[in-house]
Amino acid sequence: MALRELKVCLLGETGVGKSSIVWRFVEDSFDPNINPTIGASFMTKTVQYQNELHKFLIWDTAGQERFRALAPMYYRGSAAAIIVYDITKEESFQTLKNWVKELRQHGPPNIVVAIAGNKCDLSDAREVPEKDAKDYADSIHAIFVETSAKNAININEVFIEISKRIPDVDAAGASTGRGFKLGRQASESHRTCC
Amino acid sequence: MALQGPEELGEQVEEPEDLDDQDASSISPAEEITLPPGPGGDYEAEEALLLPWDRFSAWLHCICVVGFDLELGQAVEVRQTTRRQLRHKTSICYLSFPDSNSGCLGDTQFCFRFRQGSNRKSSLGCFLETTDRDAPPCLKGHYYGYVYFRQVRDKSLKRGYFQKSLVLISKLPYVTFFHSLLKIMAPEYFEKQEPCLEAACNDIDRWPTPHPGRILLLPIMGVVIKVRIPTCYDKPGTTQLVQSAQVKTAHTQNRGVLCFYPVFFHIQMLWELVLLGEALVVMAPSPAESSDTVLALVSCISPLRYSSDFRPYFTIHDSEFKEYTTRTQAPPSVILGVTNPFFAKTLQHWPHIIRIGDMKQAGEMAKQMKVKKLKNLKTLDSKPGVYTAYKPYLNKDEEIIKQLQKGVHQKRPSAAQNAILRRYFLELTQSFIIPLERYVASLMPLQKSISPWKSPPQLRPFVQQDFMKTLEKAGPQLTSRLKGDWIGLYRHFLKSPNFDGWFRNRRREMTQKLEALHLEALCEEDLQQRVQKHSEVETVDLVLKLKDKLSQAEKEQLPVRPGTVAKLRSHIEAVILSLPDDLQGILHKPSSP
Repeated sequence: MALRELKVCLLGETGVGKSSIVWRFVEDSFDPNINPTIGASFMTKTVQYQNELHKFLIWDTAGQERFRALAPMYYRGSAAAIIVYDITKEESFQTLKNWVKELRQHGPPNIVVAIAGNKCDLSDAREVPEKDAKDYADSIHAIFVETSAKNAININEVFIEISKRIPDVDAAGASTGRGFKLGRQASESHRTCC
Repeated sequence: MALQGPEELGEQVEEPEDLDDQDASSISPAEEITLPPGPGGDYEAEEALLLPWDRFSAWLHCICVVGFDLELGQAVEVRQTTRRQLRHKTSICYLSFPDSNSGCLGDTQFCFRFRQGSNRKSSLGCFLETTDRDAPPCLKGHYYGYVYFRQVRDKSLKRGYFQKSLVLISKLPYVTFFHSLLKIMAPEYFEKQEPCLEAACNDIDRWPTPHPGRILLLPIMGVVIKVRIPTCYDKPGTTQLVQSAQVKTAHTQNRGVLCFYPVFFHIQMLWELVLLGEALVVMAPSPAESSDTVLALVSCISPLRYSSDFRPYFTIHDSEFKEYTTRTQAPPSVILGVTNPFFAKTLQHWPHIIRIGDMKQAGEMAKQMKVKKLKNLKTLDSKPGVYTAYKPYLNKDEEIIKQLQKGVHQKRPSAAQNAILRRYFLELTQSFIIPLERYVASLMPLQKSISPWKSPPQLRPFVQQDFMKTLEKAGPQLTSRLKGDWIGLYRHFLKSPNFDGWFRNRRREMTQKLEALHLEALCEEDLQQRVQKHSEVETVDLVLKLKDKLSQAEKEQLPVRPGTVAKLRSHIEAVILSLPDDLQGILHKPSSP
């Protein structure tokens, strides 16, 4: 079975739950008192998708403003970006739109974008209507899910959706996991239409 | 884990008493920096095996940013480190900057090495004790400084130039690895400043410890470096290449033996000089060339380990400056790399001087056939070449020179030239060392002389005459076509620090092998049957001796067959159980360390 390494970064405002999503996905646990991330933390998880193994190399970036300028290091060469907002904070949804713009301008050309509206367990305090977010995601051809890292809702689904959208090894022309890389990486050599 | 900000002026480094500082006690306590506790979770962390910074310090002693202050000269601006003191601050400042402001425009990478203070336990002591066993033998007691220096025009600055170095200080001699790490870190740091350094430290603090022989995944600033730390069992040149980054020790080359280009008619003589541990100085136009050349020299006798001190980049501010340049004693067995023209005068009396010119003038090398007289070396403007009165023991190998020259004319890729030269050195060193290996192996007592009830037999002593006799039939002529005074070369080598280091190492390995064989023989004995024939006192004595043996086997990790230690442990247990209860109680107590 072929193993493919996929670099994935998480972006979004501080406190929206990026690290919690990664913890839920990788360790299946939740800590309400998680510390703010410094720079970025790195974790991996391998899952089977069809007849391939996808090893996600996850860069969970810091949301704090002082680390803002470091983001390009983490989305550079990424096959996918998960941009997270907090459904109970309208402002975090605006920040998300800025991330989308930055990725469009400076990110890898065919990066798969997933939008995660986290903390969907707190729907009483909702500020961002699901439909607005869904419409926005559709307009930019992004994956969209509302998630709860706390209650383990839709976390694995985000990554499954990403796996689905990753171009085939053959189509991409080069495998990211094995063999020699000639010229540009797979993520750069295959442009989606948008 | 928070960042230690720019240090206040008072702490900058121009105090003269710092200059010759070698011991920790003379450092003012103001230098001790205590980091604020991490963002919560500290209590838990303290219970964990590894504290914050523990993993970091297994890789790095600290990270420094050295800038240029108009009033003060070089100064440490930022420092990411553990709670430990940063000694040698002045040295580090000077060693992190090119000595003469010449060229060096753009980005330059080089490395330096300095002596660790003597009166303190190695900072990595506890770590190295456990993992050093399989590590390639590199000199202990030294730190390496890996430098990424950037000098670019910047009109917005008073000086007109941006000049800064990002410096990694580490005990680990993995030149290629740290240089590629810096290539990732430094450009990002110069652009994005402190948060970048903070992120990098945070990444490094989660790295697995640098355990020899394992393939490690090291995430740093958005990329994952895959490396394999070499072990002492690796044959040189066979280090497993794992993806982009390959860890090489300082004893293997960086830019490659190609540094010898400007002097390559003399490579064979250089090999002899390094082998014999002669005092050598490399005078180069830049720290990058000086450090690459020194590292290439040190590695040219691999797999033999170079046992003396070497300084890829040495300045007049070094703590050992006086010690190494004194005229009252013969020059020490060291290899120095220098760029400051001042050294041309200071080290005039040194027996062997290598002048490396500008690397661009590669075409010139054909003209440097002759070894130059020392007296011709007046200034650093002298032509590239080797200045020495040394007469090589071995005849010159014209073939390798021709082969390399042909490569130059045919524009053979430098990797291929490099491989040719490395293989040449390797074969030469092996031809030289095989007779020694063979003779030393014959000093091992026969297996049948090992008796479980006697202490392990001793190695027979190394007798120079006996060794020389073996050369007639089994000398280097078996594997090398080179003619010349091999006997003279061996005679000289046996007095050198490299022989001393090599022989010590071999003796230790063989003694351990004897201990291991003895232990295995002991395990095969029926101890209980033997105990029945002896008095209680003798049995207790046996138990104590066996326990000693066991702890030695574990501490030194004797090369015993798998299962031997467990077997011995069960033997001890069985013998103890055959004793009366009161004695059992005493003997079951864990022995004091």
